[in-house]
Amino acid sequence: MRSWSRRQALKAGAGATAAVLALPQALRAVPAEVAAEIAKFTGGKAFSEGLITIDVPEIAENGNTVPLSIAVDSPMTANDYIAELRVLADGNPRPGIASFRFTPQCGRAEAATRIRLAGSQTLSAVAKTSDGRVFLARKQVKVTIGGCGG
Amino acid sequence: MAEKPRIKMPKEAKRGEIIQIKTLVAHVMESGQRKDQSGNTIPRKIINTFVCSFNGAPVFACDLETSIAANPYLQFAVRVEQSGVFAFRWVDDDGTFITAEENIVVS
Amino acid sequence: MIAFIKRWPITITTAAVVLIAAAAWLSPLPMAQGAREAPLWIDGAASARPWIRYPAWPTRDVSKFNTLAAVVSPLPPRAPRKIAAPVTGDAALGAKLVADRGRGGSCIACHVMGPAGGADLPGDVGPDLSEIGKAGRDDEWLFNYVYDARVYNPDTVMPPWGTHGIFSEAEIGHIVAFLKTLTAPAQFKAALDDPQRRPAPAETRDNLDAMINPAMWAVEERAPQLWKTEGPRGSSCASCHAEPSSAFRSWAAGMPKWEERLQKVLGVEEFVTRHTKATTGHDWLMQSEENTALSTYLRYLANGAPIRVDAESEAARAAYARGKALSERKVGALNFSCADCHSAERGSGKWIRGQWLSELKGQLDHFPTWRTSQQSIWDIRKRFQWCQVAIWADDLPPDDPAYGDLELYLAAQNVGQKLSVPGIRH
Repeated sequence: MRSWSRRQALKAGAGATAAVLALPQALRAVPAEVAAEIAKFTGGKAFSEGLITIDVPEIAENGNTVPLSIAVDSPMTANDYIAELRVLADGNPRPGIASFRFTPQCGRAEAATRIRLAGSQTLSAVAKTSDGRVFLARKQVKVTIGGCGG
Repeated sequence: MAEKPRIKMPKEAKRGEIIQIKTLVAHVMESGQRKDQSGNTIPRKIINTFVCSFNGAPVFACDLETSIAANPYLQFAVRVEQSGVFAFRWVDDDGTFITAEENIVVS
Repeated sequence: MIAFIKRWPITITTAAVVLIAAAAWLSPLPMAQGAREAPLWIDGAASARPWIRYPAWPTRDVSKFNTLAAVVSPLPPRAPRKIAAPVTGDAALGAKLVADRGRGGSCIACHVMGPAGGADLPGDVGPDLSEIGKAGRDDEWLFNYVYDARVYNPDTVMPPWGTHGIFSEAEIGHIVAFLKTLTAPAQFKAALDDPQRRPAPAETRDNLDAMINPAMWAVEERAPQLWKTEGPRGSSCASCHAEPSSAFRSWAAGMPKWEERLQKVLGVEEFVTRHTKATTGHDWLMQSEENTALSTYLRYLANGAPIRVDAESEAARAAYARGKALSERKVGALNFSCADCHSAERGSGKWIRGQWLSELKGQLDHFPTWRTSQQSIWDIRKRFQWCQVAIWADDLPPDDPAYGDLELYLAAQNVGQKLSVPGIRH
């Protein structure tokens, strides 16, 4: 882990703040850390909504293993394919869940896995196409714990 | 896992068909958030990367972080144009690899 | 002596053969399987002694309250307490107390209560109290109902918050103050939060798919390996049972069963401990990793077979009666019986917070089960133990006869259900 000089740290903080402030209204309610990750992914580019489908249970009985599957609508040809898909969590100790890197050989831009969730929260999925367009989708998941308080 | 990773995919396919590949590897995916009985933090140890290659060329990859559940399951799609060998590799934080291979006959 | 043998060779030889045959019959040596009793080690407990609760489980001193083995809880008051002056309290504190997970729920585990807990997935075992503040109930009634509802309704499911010391009288005052502010229906942020509009969960995962259920690794790999592992006596399960998948096609569906030699009901897990120790010498106590893998395996081999229970013999009928009574005994500081949550007349089909309560039918066919919240396989006895601890009662050792009676009663409610083991659940 690098140790940063005070100036470096201030610069990075200012950069992150600037990135957050540049985000559209839709993301103002998003925790700063997640917004910063999204900004890093989009490179400050404006994103569109659509294309991405997030499939996750509405209520997860516990946060230990929650099935997640994401599909991004794309022809997946050499000229037009989804290059990267990043999944982020609003309410986990760290925002990053996974990054998926596709090639045109995938045929479909889709992936499924099982994730941990620290509690009820909203997930973000950001996708980047081969020609640099970016898309965003958000989905809420409720996570319950044992009814009696365990 | 002393046991092998588990891969579920067809053994045969038609040219141009998009197949689904399901993979599972046993791994505790220690997040670095948990504490042991004495209150000490259990250090992070996860699979951080997965790569699927076909006939030597990477097709699909995933960077996993600490929010991926234990025994990481990854499912994805591949369009197959020719017969060959799929190679799967999981990379642990400690630098070690877990690998597996599966053949497919494409007609 | 030698002269004796010389004089009666045939008789002596015959007697010797008979004695050797009898010894082989009685001794736990590997023998061909026949229609006789399985050897059982009966000289001690089948689980660790002293039984120590799992370290990750909550520890509280609840020794003053009923368990399935002891009836010691304090009695309810004989009559409601007379309260002349109005009950005072801080409604804001009350709002926090009714949503406090650390106090067994608390109230919103079973009741919708307006804005309490952010109206975030409250339960509905009890009535919606969002308008109790204008229901015409006086302070005395509200206080006594929370303190110990049994003075108004002896059959109540409500925990006796005051009598059992979960809330102090001052805290109950705060709760009453809060209840008096509830005069409008709850505002839910999402339909899911409203227990009336929340769909009952359906388990759709394929529990027998090893890609989905890690418990399948135990039956596909670990158990067959253990089956062939020799114990101190030099034998393994395979020594007598070479073809388990055909031999045990329905055996486990007939468990648990009354065991005359131990005068208790034996489940699969306890059978595995006692039978393997008697035959191979292995020390596979209940809830050990080996026992769990093998118990899951034996149930798995009987997948598709319908659960059946001996309900004819006198001993079985007595065990059933005891089990039924135990399922109706209120235990723990929270004072719940199995029936309070899991019978149709009371809690089943309803929600405690975000957890749905099932009825008894359909609760045994998938045990042992992988528990995603625990990342391990749990057998039915561990599930019993956890239920007890969750309602602030002391758990018993897994081989306690009370659990056997309860398991037999549970099996009887599940006759005809086909095994599908290992399950996968929260």
